[in-house]
Amino acid sequence: MSDKLTGGKLEATGLPEAINLQPAHLRLEHLVKRFGPTMAVDDVTLDIPKGSFATLLGPSGCGKTTLLRTIAGFYEPNDGAIYLEDRRIDHLPAHRRGTAMVFQDYALFPHMSVFDNIAYGLRLAKVQGAQLDRRVHETVEFVGLQGLEKRWPSQLSGGQQQRVALARALVVQPRVLLLDEPLSNLDANLRERMRWELRSLQQRLNITFVYVTHDQSEALAMSDWIAVIKDGRVMQWGDPWEIYYHPRTTFMAEFVGAANLEPVKIVDCHPPKATVVWHDYRLELPAPEGGAADEALLCIRPEAITISAEPGDQARYISLPGTVTRKAFLGHIMRYWVQMGKAEWIVDESDPGANLRTFDGAVYLLCDPHRVHLIAMPAPAPGAPAA
Amino acid sequence: MDVKFSPPLDENSMPRLTRRTFLKVAGTGIGLTVAGGILAACGGPAQQKASGKISVYSALNETTNNAFVDAFKKAVTGIDVEVLPLAAAGELQTRIRTEKNSPKADVFIGGSSEFHDPLGKEGLLEAYKSPNASSVPDMYKDPNGFWTGWYLGIWGTVLNTDRFAKEMSGVKKPAVWEDLLDPAWKGKIVYPDPVKTGGGYIMIATQVFRFNKDEDKAMDYMKKLHANIGQYAGTSPQCIQLVGQGQFVLAPNWGHDILTAKNQGQPVEFVVPEGTGFEIGAVSIVKGGPNTAAAKAFVDWALTKEAAQLNVKLSNRLSVRNDVPPAPGSPTLEQVKLVNYDRAWASDNKDRLLKKWQAATS
Amino acid sequence: MKTLTREPMLGLTLLILVALMFSFILYPQIQVVLVPGLKGYFAFFAEGMWVKPLVNSLEAMALSTTTAVILGFLYAYAMIYSDMPGKPFFRLIGMLPLLSPPFVVAASYILLFGPRGLISYRLLGQSWNVLGLGGLWGVQTIAYFPFAYQLIADVLARSDPRMEQAARNLGAGPWQVFRTVTLPLARPGLASAILITAIYVLEDFGNPALIAGRFTVLPTQAYGLVSGFGDFVGAAAVSTILLVLALMLYLGHLRLEGNRSFVTVSGKAGSMPRPPVPRLVTWGAFTICAILSGVILMVYGVLVLSALTKAFPSNWAFTLEHFDYVRVHSKSLENTFVYCSIAAILCSLYSVLLAFLIQRKEWPGRRIVDFLAIMPAAVPGIFFGIGYATAFNQRWLDWLDRGVLIMISMIFWNIPVAYRAALAGLAQIDRSIDEAATSLGAGSLRGFRDILFPLLREPMLTGLGTAFVRAVTTLSVVIFLFTPGTTVATITIFQLVNDFNWGGATAFTVGLIGLAIAVLSVIWFVTGRRAIVTHSIGG
Repeated sequence: MSDKLTGGKLEATGLPEAINLQPAHLRLEHLVKRFGPTMAVDDVTLDIPKGSFATLLGPSGCGKTTLLRTIAGFYEPNDGAIYLEDRRIDHLPAHRRGTAMVFQDYALFPHMSVFDNIAYGLRLAKVQGAQLDRRVHETVEFVGLQGLEKRWPSQLSGGQQQRVALARALVVQPRVLLLDEPLSNLDANLRERMRWELRSLQQRLNITFVYVTHDQSEALAMSDWIAVIKDGRVMQWGDPWEIYYHPRTTFMAEFVGAANLEPVKIVDCHPPKATVVWHDYRLELPAPEGGAADEALLCIRPEAITISAEPGDQARYISLPGTVTRKAFLGHIMRYWVQMGKAEWIVDESDPGANLRTFDGAVYLLCDPHRVHLIAMPAPAPGAPAA
Repeated sequence: MDVKFSPPLDENSMPRLTRRTFLKVAGTGIGLTVAGGILAACGGPAQQKASGKISVYSALNETTNNAFVDAFKKAVTGIDVEVLPLAAAGELQTRIRTEKNSPKADVFIGGSSEFHDPLGKEGLLEAYKSPNASSVPDMYKDPNGFWTGWYLGIWGTVLNTDRFAKEMSGVKKPAVWEDLLDPAWKGKIVYPDPVKTGGGYIMIATQVFRFNKDEDKAMDYMKKLHANIGQYAGTSPQCIQLVGQGQFVLAPNWGHDILTAKNQGQPVEFVVPEGTGFEIGAVSIVKGGPNTAAAKAFVDWALTKEAAQLNVKLSNRLSVRNDVPPAPGSPTLEQVKLVNYDRAWASDNKDRLLKKWQAATS
Repeated sequence: MKTLTREPMLGLTLLILVALMFSFILYPQIQVVLVPGLKGYFAFFAEGMWVKPLVNSLEAMALSTTTAVILGFLYAYAMIYSDMPGKPFFRLIGMLPLLSPPFVVAASYILLFGPRGLISYRLLGQSWNVLGLGGLWGVQTIAYFPFAYQLIADVLARSDPRMEQAARNLGAGPWQVFRTVTLPLARPGLASAILITAIYVLEDFGNPALIAGRFTVLPTQAYGLVSGFGDFVGAAAVSTILLVLALMLYLGHLRLEGNRSFVTVSGKAGSMPRPPVPRLVTWGAFTICAILSGVILMVYGVLVLSALTKAFPSNWAFTLEHFDYVRVHSKSLENTFVYCSIAAILCSLYSVLLAFLIQRKEWPGRRIVDFLAIMPAAVPGIFFGIGYATAFNQRWLDWLDRGVLIMISMIFWNIPVAYRAALAGLAQIDRSIDEAATSLGAGSLRGFRDILFPLLREPMLTGLGTAFVRAVTTLSVVIFLFTPGTTVATITIFQLVNDFNWGGATAFTVGLIGLAIAVLSVIWFVTGRRAIVTHSIGG
């Protein structure tokens, strides 16, 4: 029995008729959820694109799961509204919203077989007999669990249980599928594979997924659209590229990916452009958020820096001297920590096998001025970034 | 396909409700069938014919109840008797009280008059002076006619004959209450807790009356007796059981119960000291009962010699009629010296006396 | 609250349950509480005769509850955790004390351990002062440890062995594991056990009536006031005191239970065995259980002997004549069986539904209803019965069959145990399982029926069994309700006892116990074929 979603098989046969889903547009407006004095969800407004793989990303305790559960209907919002296809759903009881959920611990019904677990939602919808059997079987095949229908949840592996949870939710044709960190209990290898398979599943089915995770590489890998949540508020939203390359705050820069940050003085600020002086170089860069300011944080990603023994071409690079304090071989990259003055920068060298040497001691960090950007200091109020 | 799924029920159906409704219907059906006679007889004051069915709340024992029903049916035809047997007059009294909005009982028979009297005062009884009551001395009747006494219970002691013979050969059987203060009895007496049992309290009151209401002397007696009491029991009948088992040698208790135990084969004897208390067993009619006319017929019969004889034979109690001999082993009224037991006074002063007793014996 | 308004069926269900509760628990009790009137209450309390019984009650409660819970815990631990042999036997014996029809079992204790007891005197040459606090303590401990045992065993059985394995793995010795993992995990069961046991000890009437002698507790005082002196007002006042005590106990237990979650049924696989228990513990457990079982068997053995001999203990001649009474009174046995079975089933269903509504949903007044659900335990049976007799003896209710009324009284009289068992069971099921059902389209009631109800089979059956046994052995509740056609077994025993017919009473009691064991065996058999649930939790 293959442990993979049978992606290949799917292409051959096309979408099974059983799963015939319409993407839905989910909109949250000024959603607030309080637990006693704590604000778990603090005035969240999001417009989740139709048919996208949307991820709510954030550190533990940031409120992303609360937000998901509020959408599902397990929590009552204290304020605000939720719209599904322009229909207000926060007044509806949880079981009538058309939002099926895949739980972090799968929550399979221990007293039902795999078949019955999957069939449950259909039976509730009064699907019976041959039609029921057909739909369940098709979904079982779709997630690659053929032959396991009669097993009990306790007899399945973690990955198999996860698929049952997935199949159970898919088979009822939800408008929106909610997933609460469904991969966090799997081992690393399986996790990676499941990412691709979930992603391709979503794309084939073309339904809206709302996915919660704290793993930023997972979010970047799988999503069409990401909203980063911290302390119950939306820090930033956009597509992965936008999130990664245009973080609006230090938190964003450091949470999604690694970042090297250095304060710089702004000598001339005419939005949308600003001129800064950095290591005796004058740079003209897009202005940071929040209008005129005297200083900003200059941000450059580790992979955008080239480490070298000699200073590079002055026309192309800004060369900064530093000293390697330590390094780590991560397989596909060599990560160096380089001391420059008071700051310690991180530099990633890709494909270290191509270089027959590693770097030690005094080095030069070659920065491409086109690869830096400015972050306002302090961070501006959350809202949509400038287009 | 092995589907472990209960058959889909409509979310609107509530199995529990259905079952309950069914039960109510079935219950009503059964109730009507069983109680049909009673309800039919409940025709109100218009129906004065002594016939139909009566419901008798009886504190008498089972054998007596059965015999009474049979005998009554033979003596007075046309009336069906349904007995609610509960050999605890206090419970019956409470029950009659709880049923006052819709009385189910016709007759309350048995149990000391101390239980009938309050009901009369509360207006729950129907006053009736039966013609047969003329054979009952006045001191055993309620002047207002709410209840009529028809038997007596004598308070005495139960003695375990085996142990008494073996262990106490030098001691004489108690002829007066003071005999119980003999140190030879130490630890061998069990006594019914007067705070909880009618009998236990009647003993205290008896002592008070014996000393002509000198409470200090009475309490002094009880205090001395306490020194000999091995343990206290929670109910009066239990004392007899314990003495019968041989756990103790003697207990103050009701003569009729002692004799019944003896007839069951227990190695016991009924010994009555001089100057003892007694209870009056009563019969009364519940006001507003289903069939008052027939109830009166029953009361009339209960006061006859035949009924008295049956009661004596089957429960060893003493009849108030002087033409009915006592049960074997039981003394006659003349042989027993009774104290002047002032019921009303005993009842009114109960709490105070109990407190005194507790103070004297703790 | 919004959940209720959005799911009208749920709201309706709640309303019905609460209405039933108000009609059949609150309303009859109010009848009793109102009886004395303010003047009556003042007079009674000024008298002061209630102080000593109150102190005695608290004393007995503290002592008996402690030992009963400890014993129940030991027993549960031995049954669930240890490897000791003979578990089915011990399971049965552990339930036996629940089957204590009035009078007769307590009398057996005296026969065995009294001043001339078979064990105390003939065997050990001692003359024990068994009638008093000492005897009461011993009898109540044995009589009530099964409640604690069942509630705790249920929780222990569902606890996750992985936690204990984890602790062992980290270096904790068996005692440490017990103290820091097992014990805290058993907290919901323990809290429940302490509360229920304490309340039952407090309202216990049958045992103190026979064993406590002069040591008067509140229920015996109340009974004495009614039965000995016809003082209904005083008795009602005493009943009110008991109610107040129960309320305080309830509030106290709320703090004890805390808000922690002890979820162990979460729809995830867990098939680890428990860490092994040291041999010393196993044999210690076995010894304790064996001694306890020995005492229990002796008590019931004496009962059987009484039924089979002419006049035990003075006349040991074998006879079967006493069993004639069983034949003669077979109708009352039949009534008992019918009323109590139906009542137990309905009680169990009602309780599990109510527990679901209270534990899984939020709505105003939840805590009050939670208290009302255990209030019947705090009311002496005699007052429960009086309340019913007063409340339902109205002209317009004359059509109500007495049998039905007795059944209803049994249902609501036994809600506390079934309800607490259901609550403890529910607390162990992770909410994500309900939520999964909800997200798939199941309304609350539907989710309850499909998902929670099947997973609650064992607590429900526990509750059902206990409710049945309590219904079968209660006297004080029915004594004011029965009619000749609706007599139940306990009344018959009472009548036989009052006839001084000990042979008949014991024979009938043996018959009754036999019936109860038969029914319980059926239930046990059904549970014996364990549900899938336990497999998947690694039990």
